[in-house]
Amino acid sequence: MRKSRQIILGIESSCDETSAAVVSVNCQLSTVNCFEILSNIVLSQIDIHKKYGGVVPEVAARQHVKNILPVIQGALDEAKVSEKDIDAIAITQGPGLITSLMVGVETARTLAYVWDKPCVPVNHIKAHVYAAWLSSNAHNSPHSPLSLRGEEKIDRVPPLKVRGGQEELLSELIKFPILALVVSGGHTELLFMKNEKSFKKIGQTLDDAAGEAFDKVAKILDLGYPGGPIISKLAETGNPQAFAFPRGMMKSPDFNFSFSGLKTAVLYAVQGIQKQKHKKFQVSSFKFQENVAASFQQAATDVLVYKTIKAAQQYKIKTLIMGGGVAANKLLRETMRTEAEKIHIPFIVPEIKLCTDNAAPIAVAGYFGKVMPWQKIEADSGLEIK
Amino acid sequence: MGSVITNSAQETIEFGKKLASNFKGGEVICLYGNLGAGKTTLIKGIALGLGVKKVVTSPTFILMNIYNLEPRTYNLKCFVHIDCYRIKKAEDMENIGATEYFNDPNSVVMIEWPERILEILPKKRTDIHITIKGKNEREFGVNDIWNAKMT
Repeated sequence: MRKSRQIILGIESSCDETSAAVVSVNCQLSTVNCFEILSNIVLSQIDIHKKYGGVVPEVAARQHVKNILPVIQGALDEAKVSEKDIDAIAITQGPGLITSLMVGVETARTLAYVWDKPCVPVNHIKAHVYAAWLSSNAHNSPHSPLSLRGEEKIDRVPPLKVRGGQEELLSELIKFPILALVVSGGHTELLFMKNEKSFKKIGQTLDDAAGEAFDKVAKILDLGYPGGPIISKLAETGNPQAFAFPRGMMKSPDFNFSFSGLKTAVLYAVQGIQKQKHKKFQVSSFKFQENVAASFQQAATDVLVYKTIKAAQQYKIKTLIMGGGVAANKLLRETMRTEAEKIHIPFIVPEIKLCTDNAAPIAVAGYFGKVMPWQKIEADSGLEIK
Repeated sequence: MGSVITNSAQETIEFGKKLASNFKGGEVICLYGNLGAGKTTLIKGIALGLGVKKVVTSPTFILMNIYNLEPRTYNLKCFVHIDCYRIKKAEDMENIGATEYFNDPNSVVMIEWPERILEILPKKRTDIHITIKGKNEREFGVNDIWNAKMT
């Protein structure tokens, strides 16, 4: 029996979003995307964790337990598929909060056992990159439209094995080698991909993740959680040149980042103004918060873009991808796009709802990943890129 | 009880390396100090001293990072880096299994923001209080509760 279309159920629970998605993979047709999202349900716990100023592991795990089955059922219903139609289950194995990860992993293992389906453990960071395969703007690249080349080969290949024909088709869509910047609350990594399955870390933060810096700066400014959207909003009316915050490691010859010094510089600026509180300045006045937010955001963006573009040039890449929660930041998206255009490299950044944590890219990563016996799949909070 | 003053990040790293050279396993080191005090820098020094090959990054997000160590003279196997910055209750650290490493003879544990989990900190531990003296000058007040108890 030939099977040209695969249905993959993706499950994600690495932090505070419970998500399930049904993605159809159909690389036979020339005019549509290979990957089609049939459903993608994300249940965020942000409102619950807001009052704590961050994710509380125990609360998060309990919420995941409560929500995960209804979310999966919802994803199946919305996709109008039943468990019989599912060809494989893809699950976030790590990195993330161990107690959150375990809920998703145990659920996936149970479903794989009960439904008798293959299960694919997925690295969450890689999934942030694979979100680009779901991005609509990927298909508007100059390399489209696809040709029908290799169709016969595709038909004969069993599910979940990437094969010659498939790679050829995809490579017309997204050209390799690829450089991907993954920026989120827990990660800041530059990854080099010479094909769909190969990931090489060429740079990373040496201390805080970019998203963590946004959260900590928001906390220093007493703005609440999560920091990213709040800082970005405030920054719109602030002056990005008001404070000369440091651009950490801008001049270092490698492709690593550092955001710890930037966070500390913001702290000193705020403490400096607090000391003058009894005089005429106040933290809440004179657009102080707006200016700090704008200057901080500019400094973080400058470093991320500068280092990424430098790596893009050195590694002679053909496509630049950005993913992760911080990739939702408007200034970062715009600046990266402008700079990529200057060096004539196609740039793909998925729409915002695919940048933040969600299960659709998990399903794509599952398609490119390796099936493992469910008995051997374990959550790993510190899972490495291999 | 003693204190050490460093005048640069590099000196702090060296101090960390020196501390690490005395570790035999079972140590729990608590670091007290504000944002920007140099906790991360000291931990990087200690990790270097222990021979950690991987880049030591902030565990704020996932709360605990575990680095496996190359076999050394002693039975040290794990370097555990814990960050309680986001923690509201000590219970959260117990839930992720952090306390299992406390005083484990095969592990060295570093804890940032330990004041948030005071009630579950082991009695056998070393407290290091970091004070910002100047732009680059830091004072490390070392209170070795463990050794004090043993002598």
